[in-house]
Amino acid sequence: MTAPTIAVTRPVPQRASRGLWRDAGRRLLRNGPALIGMTCILVFVVGAVLAPFLTPYDPSIGQLADARQTPSLTHLMGTDLLGRDEFTRVLYGARLSLQLGVISVFFGLLFGILIGASAGGLGGKVDALLMRIVDVLLAVPGILLAIGIIAWLGRGNIQIMLAVGVSYTPIFARLLRGSLLALRETDYVIAARSIGASRLRILVRHMLPNAVTPLIVQATLALATAIIDVAGLGFLGLGPGDPRVAEWGEMLTDSARFLQYAPYLIFFPAAAIVISAIGFNLVGDGLREALDPRLRH
Amino acid sequence: MPRYIVRRIVGAIPILFGLSIALFLFLHLLPGDPATAILGQHATPQLIAQVRANLGLDQPLYVQYLAYLGRLLHGDLGASFVDSRTVVSEFATKFPATVELTMGALIFAIGLGIPLGRLAGRHPNGWLDGLLTVVSLFGISVPIFVLGYSLVFVFGVELHWLPAVGQADPRLGVPTVTHFAIIDAILTGRPVAVVDAVAHLILPAIALGTIPFAIITRITRAAVIDVANEDYVRTARAKGLTEQRVDSRHIMRNAWLPVMTIIGLEVGGLLGGAVITETVFAWNGVGSWVVSAVENHDYIVVQSLVLIFAVIFLVVNLIVDIGYAFLNPRIRYT
Amino acid sequence: MALLEVEGLVVRFRTHEGTIYAVNGVSFHVDDGETLGLVGESGCGKSVTSLAVMRLLPRPAGHVEGGRVRLDGTELLDLTEAEMRDLRGREVAMIFQDPMTSLNPVLTIHEQMVETIRAHTQMTAEQATARAVELLGMVGIPHPETRLKAFPHEFSGGMRQRVMIAMALALHPRLLIADEPTTALDVTIQAQVLELLRALTAESGTAVILITHDLGVVAGMTRRINVMYAGYIVETATTAELFAHPSHPYTVGLLHSIPRLDAVEGEPLIPIEGVPPDQRRAPVGCPFAPRCAWRLAACWTTNPPLESLVPGMPVVLTGDRATHRIACLNPPTPDETAAGMPSRPGFVAAPAPGSAVDELATAEIVQ
Repeated sequence: MTAPTIAVTRPVPQRASRGLWRDAGRRLLRNGPALIGMTCILVFVVGAVLAPFLTPYDPSIGQLADARQTPSLTHLMGTDLLGRDEFTRVLYGARLSLQLGVISVFFGLLFGILIGASAGGLGGKVDALLMRIVDVLLAVPGILLAIGIIAWLGRGNIQIMLAVGVSYTPIFARLLRGSLLALRETDYVIAARSIGASRLRILVRHMLPNAVTPLIVQATLALATAIIDVAGLGFLGLGPGDPRVAEWGEMLTDSARFLQYAPYLIFFPAAAIVISAIGFNLVGDGLREALDPRLRH
Repeated sequence: MPRYIVRRIVGAIPILFGLSIALFLFLHLLPGDPATAILGQHATPQLIAQVRANLGLDQPLYVQYLAYLGRLLHGDLGASFVDSRTVVSEFATKFPATVELTMGALIFAIGLGIPLGRLAGRHPNGWLDGLLTVVSLFGISVPIFVLGYSLVFVFGVELHWLPAVGQADPRLGVPTVTHFAIIDAILTGRPVAVVDAVAHLILPAIALGTIPFAIITRITRAAVIDVANEDYVRTARAKGLTEQRVDSRHIMRNAWLPVMTIIGLEVGGLLGGAVITETVFAWNGVGSWVVSAVENHDYIVVQSLVLIFAVIFLVVNLIVDIGYAFLNPRIRYT
Repeated sequence: MALLEVEGLVVRFRTHEGTIYAVNGVSFHVDDGETLGLVGESGCGKSVTSLAVMRLLPRPAGHVEGGRVRLDGTELLDLTEAEMRDLRGREVAMIFQDPMTSLNPVLTIHEQMVETIRAHTQMTAEQATARAVELLGMVGIPHPETRLKAFPHEFSGGMRQRVMIAMALALHPRLLIADEPTTALDVTIQAQVLELLRALTAESGTAVILITHDLGVVAGMTRRINVMYAGYIVETATTAELFAHPSHPYTVGLLHSIPRLDAVEGEPLIPIEGVPPDQRRAPVGCPFAPRCAWRLAACWTTNPPLESLVPGMPVVLTGDRATHRIACLNPPTPDETAAGMPSRPGFVAAPAPGSAVDELATAEIVQ
């Protein structure tokens, strides 16, 4: 009996899997709302970074004679009660918000990853103790924790970043710990253990890269909240404390009395906060969808 | 089930302990000497010595902590150095305002958030869903103080529909009995006063409740969609049950679960947000009290208030957890 | 008139990423009391067919786009939703694959059983409860009165499936559709549940459509079998006949893919080459052509209809005398069936039209 000859046709070339990130990137770029978000963020970042080049005015100096002018060609967003150009102050405020926001989230990630990785990677008593600490932090509602830390440390940029950062630590810690606990039971981790890889190596090489994606999504969303929280602290009078520095929240407090007469002084910083927050929220949501492994084909 | 409740309560105790330790250290790790810090501007060498003696600051740390713990358990939360009123008595006058505000916000967030989320979940990608998504996005991107001022500007200043500031119109002369503006108004038996008190609650409640509303509506929508795709919903339909029954007994009974968890967490956000809302609308509640205490360096008040807030939050979460176990039989035995 | 008559059923899923051609013209009948097996691999359309019969296709994507479905003479596709709801659970019932997720986790078994009963009858709560107890006993659940108050997660997988069977048979339906009822269960439990199903449906005279990918499951349970592939029925015969004389290349391939205890040691398994078809494209020609060792050039362009194996025989659709029909232009001979591959001298499976060929091939059709 002769073996049959089945004509073998050239196989249809299949796209090789190019990795989670490129897939995600492509999916993100096709996401309409995410693109809007990225535009918002871009505007925000460009304004913040290029502030000195975008405006001739100084954010902390103004002529009283120019005070409370409505928006015009010379003062795009008007002037505040001390005669300072509002547009300039909004731009420099973006600088400060970006700085404070990013570093706050960075602190939150730093502490959160340290705690979460130790708890999830090491387990046992370490886990129990660390989670109790996280529970204590969680027991105090967000803003209050930040306020409490400011009360403790005093006012100032670093204090703000630490305060807001610490208030985000529990979320990141729990997120990472949860991912690590789930990953510990996956087949490839068990396989690594069975060939004798050390716990640290397993943690770093196998578990952390996979646990990172929810953190990235959460960090992006946290940037939105950080901008709002930093402005909130400024609004409450707990901001950086330097009256020369333009901070969006403080700008709002200062202008609150003039709601009826000079609403533009409230509108522009408020819009700046909202647009930045929308940007990070949209991108965060977009990232979440783009990185969702279930949606990969 | 009772064992679950007991275990949850017992589990909360170490957290309370940890909290008390942290707050105790807060006072003692302040830069500089605690007595000086507390007295602030009033500091003179005699007063400092007096405070040190009163608070036993010369004794070893753990003795001081035990004394602190003892005071707490006796309900002594210290007193303000600004006006010497005890924290407890001051709290009793200010807390009702915060409760009113928080309740109002919660009613707004849940009362609007859950039905809308449910509708959006039943018609995903419809016009209501799209609209709700945009509204939610703004809801979580607009800070409370921005929203507050915007509401005041539109409804208070321009339209004159609603009052902008305070809990009630002082010209109505409503006597303060319970410190709940609405209850006090009801007690006077004058409808005008009640309407006035409620009107003063509307804008702040919306300002405070918008973020929880946005989150609750999104979570409800997601929960309804997730559950609607579950196998047991298909089984229910295969049994020939009416759509209404499928919706109420099978979809909603399960969709409630994640929503309840979120509501518990959102109460924490409400407590924090009350701080800002009370400042914007000039409400005399615990939130604005915290802010002024921090500004005045009234550390003992700050310490005690943070403790109270935390305890409230823990109690609320406990209640939510128990309610959750009631609805979800699977975790009653864990 | 048969109990269930399905004719030319076409089901498509319309999504914003394209259309999925799930079922492409399926026809079969089921008699009262008959057990029909619907066999095929994942994605062949067997579950979708049954969901279409129940009108439970996932909305908004799933659509019946052609064909007729008649239950006891009534055209199901014309009924209103309310009328269909009346039939579901009462005249035609369905049980699903995963008993863990097919029961509502927050309601007791009692609540879930009673709601079915009371939805279709006028029984009081007490009467319905009594009936539920009776049913649980019938499916072999010990201490039914106490077990009623339990929640689904307190039962094992096999027990849960028994509960599902009890719920499905509660109202004495004429037809029971069982979609992979034992796939999620351990092998020993599988046998128990299948035996229970067989016994109960035989006793009550309920017709059964048993859907599975496991040929072993249908071997002992069914009177007839439909083999499905890519949304078509490619072979249908009585169970005995199908196992004795499998005639469609796919069926032959399936049977040869199963390792046998009596095989000669060292003899290789003969897998079916290739991958299941991409159902996002409208089917052209025979759906099995890309993987078929017996294919002719015509197979790429013509979709063969389901026809008697022995030409000229009158077609009997149901029962023990059902005609053995296949949809194939070039069926294997009995020798080839036994070997699992074509053995006609010089026969080469026809290459795909317009494709590059690695070897020159001449196709000789041996009649």
